[in-house]
Amino acid sequence: MGAALIIWNKQMGKFARNGEESVGSLIQPVLWVVIFGVGMRSLLGPTLGSGDAYVSFILPGIIALTVLSGATGGGMTWLLERVQGIVKEYLVAPIARLSILLGNAASIMTKALIQSVVILAVGVLVGATVGGDALDWIGALVLVLLFGLGFSGIALAAGSMTDDIGVYHMMIALLQLPMLFLSNALYPLDSLPIWLAWVARFNPASYLVDGLRQTVLTDGLTMAGGELLPLWACFAVCAGFAVAGMLLSLRVFRRSLA
Amino acid sequence: MTKTNGYAIRTSALTKEYEQGVRAVDALDLVVEANSVFALLGPNGAGKTTTVSMLTTLLPPTSGTALVAGSDVLDDPGGVRRKIGVTFQETVLDDALTGRQALDHHGRLYGLSRSARRERARELLALTELEDAADRQIKKYSGGMKRRLELIRGLMTDPEILFLDEPTLGVDPQNRARIGDHILRLKERRGMTVLLTTHDLDEAARLADTVGIVDEGRLVVVGSPDELIAEMGDDSMHVQGEAPSDAFATAAGALDFVTEVVPTDSGVQLGVDSGDRRLTEVVRLAAEVGYPIEAISVARPTLGDVFLKYTGRALRD
Repeated sequence: MGAALIIWNKQMGKFARNGEESVGSLIQPVLWVVIFGVGMRSLLGPTLGSGDAYVSFILPGIIALTVLSGATGGGMTWLLERVQGIVKEYLVAPIARLSILLGNAASIMTKALIQSVVILAVGVLVGATVGGDALDWIGALVLVLLFGLGFSGIALAAGSMTDDIGVYHMMIALLQLPMLFLSNALYPLDSLPIWLAWVARFNPASYLVDGLRQTVLTDGLTMAGGELLPLWACFAVCAGFAVAGMLLSLRVFRRSLA
Repeated sequence: MTKTNGYAIRTSALTKEYEQGVRAVDALDLVVEANSVFALLGPNGAGKTTTVSMLTTLLPPTSGTALVAGSDVLDDPGGVRRKIGVTFQETVLDDALTGRQALDHHGRLYGLSRSARRERARELLALTELEDAADRQIKKYSGGMKRRLELIRGLMTDPEILFLDEPTLGVDPQNRARIGDHILRLKERRGMTVLLTTHDLDEAARLADTVGIVDEGRLVVVGSPDELIAEMGDDSMHVQGEAPSDAFATAAGALDFVTEVVPTDSGVQLGVDSGDRRLTEVVRLAAEVGYPIEAISVARPTLGDVFLKYTGRALRD
């Protein structure tokens, strides 16, 4: 798996040297936080309780959105590198196929983790309360990482299924936004209509969101309603999602090589 | 040097079959000796790239076996990958990296130490005169520079076998000659086996110790360029005429100085011992059998003529 590290290193190097990409990747999440943190809070805050608590409540959803977008972008880069032939260098090198996928997924996730920290920081500026002990922080970052690996796996799989960017985006769109909206990110679980609540319970994103709410964004719990997904379940589901996602990407990638 | 009875590459009935029984590569029995340059010569679509893809473990064969540097491509692909270097037909360089970064990254994938990477990169960049451009982004390189970088990237790991798929495709004549020189120089210095594919006869004739002509997925004939050309006679006489040439071809074949008779779309090609001397005899014969000659030319035979003989078609660029 050392090769995964080498590939991660190359992708991160490119990211660091690409001014537009690094700055752009930071601006987008900040925009979301501002829209929700400043814009929406004045609309919804007073009705739901406190504006500050609202921001704490909504921040996990923004993190989820950012991770989903990051993975989608990463899947597209993967597709382009496959089509351009860059991946061939890895295929004839003495490295495991899984390393190629892991290295790319890891670089997607590193960027997403950086963005997540920025989101939390900006969130504080607009009123969220972010806190917890070291274990909470580690737990939060682990949850983001695991969820991200899961969706990165899906994105890499989609990027291996087709050579056409349009088709890729069509496939990924079927999952990306629904994963966010059909979860408890925007509304408390117990306030959702029954069918939607059930969909949300099967959606890994809900587990990321509630996991974050119970670690570093506990201020948002006041708005999270009566039903909370237990913390142990959050870790379990995200871990399972990570494994399933990466295995899917390996399977689809291998099939694309025959 | 890992050998399989002295062979760097040995395949047995190597086949790649797609839907509806379409065979891109058809029961190929290829033998490449160690420390030689082998050229697979054939037109586009002959199956050259597919063959290389199978030998470099990019594509699994449908049937048959292939031993590359002593390792089986299906049973031990890792073993194969460790010992080979590959330069692909398309440019597969990551534009955002500099030349030096691309070489370093490649070396790391194969487990080369930092000092080995630095040293080898320096040496190879000097060899192909790319030192000045080494720290510039590849997206700023010219086509010829990218091809040269591709070539040395394959060499970073000091492979036992170097695969070059159409190394000079789309490259201008000047760079084509330079790349060809690099390949020859490399073979001498490192004692490496090179398998290259091309549809350029001159390239094959100049660089290869052994040429294998492929057409429609099949290996049609194998030999050194000199051997193959010698079979064609000392000179090649191209006779062009409007009428059907069967009578003329038969009559010409009976002449004692004619070693080869190959019908073409536009007439007949004859292998003779000396074109200049025999010209009048051939013309007289044509008149005798009533074959109207439109044009007649004499040339040293080329691999193109060899291709024509074995496949019945001309090797078009």
